[in-house]
Amino acid sequence: MSTAIDKTANTRINTLRWLIRRELWEHKGAFIWAPLLVAAILVLLIGGGGLYAAASTGSFNFQVGEHQVVAINGIPPNLRAQLAGVAASSYLALSAPLFLVLPVVAFFYCLAALHDDRRDRSILFWKSLPLSDADTVLSKVIVALLVAPLVVIGIGIAASLVLLAIGLVAAAVNNINLVLPVLSDYRLYLSPLYLLAFLPLYIIWALPTVGWLLLVSSWARSKVFLWAVGLPLAALAILSWFDFLVGRFSGMSLHAKWIGEEVLARFLGGLMPGIWFGELDTAAMRQMEGGLDTVMLLRLSYSTLSSPAVWIAAVAGCAMIYGAVRLRRWRDEG
Amino acid sequence: MNAVVSARGLTKRYGKQVAVDGIDFEIAAGRIVGLIGPNGSGKTTTLKAALGLIPFEGELTVLGYDPRTQRDALMQEVCFIADVAILPRWLRVKDAIDFVAGVHPRFNRAKAERYIANTRLQPEMKVKQMSKGMIVQLHLALVMAIDARLLVLDEPTLGLDIIYRKGFYQNLLEDYFDEAKTIIITTHQVEEVEHILTDLLFIRDGKIALSASMEEIGERYVEVMVSGDKIAAANALQPIDQRTVFGKSVMLFDAKRVGGVAREQLAALGEVRNPSVADLFVATMKGTYA
Repeated sequence: MSTAIDKTANTRINTLRWLIRRELWEHKGAFIWAPLLVAAILVLLIGGGGLYAAASTGSFNFQVGEHQVVAINGIPPNLRAQLAGVAASSYLALSAPLFLVLPVVAFFYCLAALHDDRRDRSILFWKSLPLSDADTVLSKVIVALLVAPLVVIGIGIAASLVLLAIGLVAAAVNNINLVLPVLSDYRLYLSPLYLLAFLPLYIIWALPTVGWLLLVSSWARSKVFLWAVGLPLAALAILSWFDFLVGRFSGMSLHAKWIGEEVLARFLGGLMPGIWFGELDTAAMRQMEGGLDTVMLLRLSYSTLSSPAVWIAAVAGCAMIYGAVRLRRWRDEG
Repeated sequence: MNAVVSARGLTKRYGKQVAVDGIDFEIAAGRIVGLIGPNGSGKTTTLKAALGLIPFEGELTVLGYDPRTQRDALMQEVCFIADVAILPRWLRVKDAIDFVAGVHPRFNRAKAERYIANTRLQPEMKVKQMSKGMIVQLHLALVMAIDARLLVLDEPTLGLDIIYRKGFYQNLLEDYFDEAKTIIITTHQVEEVEHILTDLLFIRDGKIALSASMEEIGERYVEVMVSGDKIAAANALQPIDQRTVFGKSVMLFDAKRVGGVAREQLAALGEVRNPSVADLFVATMKGTYA
């Protein structure tokens, strides 16, 4: 009997693999070309600009920390070590703009995911194949929460390495050889792993948003964006108005502010990488010197999981994903 | 009898509107059934219920499964075309084949590629570059390569030219169909399918108006070209329908009707033949649009 179970498990994973491939065929532009384009622009602007500056002025402006702007033309060894440390530990920060592309792409992907095939009626084709609604929705959750971030992380690491290499060459042109100290800094190799280590946290924080967007996508007959964004904002506006009026005459409050921050932000903003920084003790972050202390950042970030609100929101996200599956199963597409 | 589809009191309401009104029917294995009815008669709703696409009331089993609760298992053995030209615009021909081959255990890739080789479809082509007819060709090629126990075709050849339509039904009969399979077809072009059907199911206002095999229908319904002098005699036998072709009266008789008539009796009135399904349909649906 166990072989039979293995077989169904295998076919299920196989089906999921095809469903995920299907999503990438459909959204290749958003998930692959958009981040690649942004990465190319980053490399051209930052890398090209840096090279141009290095070649034309023969001097190099480095910014270390917040105020220390130094023009360098042969520098003392301790500064050189510090520069190498910053480069090796923080080079991934150069890919930050890519992580602004991710939430935009993922947001609109989730909104369209269960709506587009209902609009063009191709859902009737997908439903004529042995694909369960649960697997279909699950494949979209996996794409939004795992595949898309992994692609962006991969492209981000590659772009950052290219920029780091350009920076090292530019520095070498100016007689500052940082290649060896950077290559021998263990943080150069650990940084990508640290970046990956944020992914589970990102998934937990993004679950409520993905759930909400998929639910609306599965439910709305049209104007998905309006429903997904307008409905919560309108609800918040009504609550705030109520609070404003009633709060003047009595002590009663519907806690509009709390709902706005705790519920709305999680439902609409969860796909933004680093949304959890809002809950961090920023004082600790300001004390970082000698580049980004990623380990401390990771530890602080994961400490947000001690708040039950994060978990309640994640469970609500899963419940909404389940709701999206049910709606897709029974919605009459006419 | 081992029914492939079996309905008892199948009912579907949209609000107060009753789309399917407590119908009973059975479809046996190895049949090709024409489900025929005017627009809005409930035929598509009946099919959607059988395919687990909508909730319904009453009893309905398809291949022994309840489409409401066992749809995932059902879809391993059933395939359908619910509407034509609904493939997503971004899909490529080769990706479509890869995908169905990847997820469907009963898909025969070589067969699909053979069907596609007979069309102007190219592997790299995307659906958005295709004409409506080509989209249907791709869809049919994919579905015909699936060895399903039950195939449901709702208006499968809409938008295809007559040559491809004829070829499709030919393939359906010769290449696809066998005694272990069952096919349910709805179409407006009844003339094109009547020679391949084994059973007829007429549906009207959410009720079954006629359910019979083609043999039964051949025995039961008789069309007579009544010569001019015998019209009064013919009218006395209560034809269920009457029309005029080139000045001659063509009357349709139901031999099973109370006080029905025998074939020999009708032969005396004029030339006797079997009615076409389309004529029978028109006669049965009389008053539907009134």
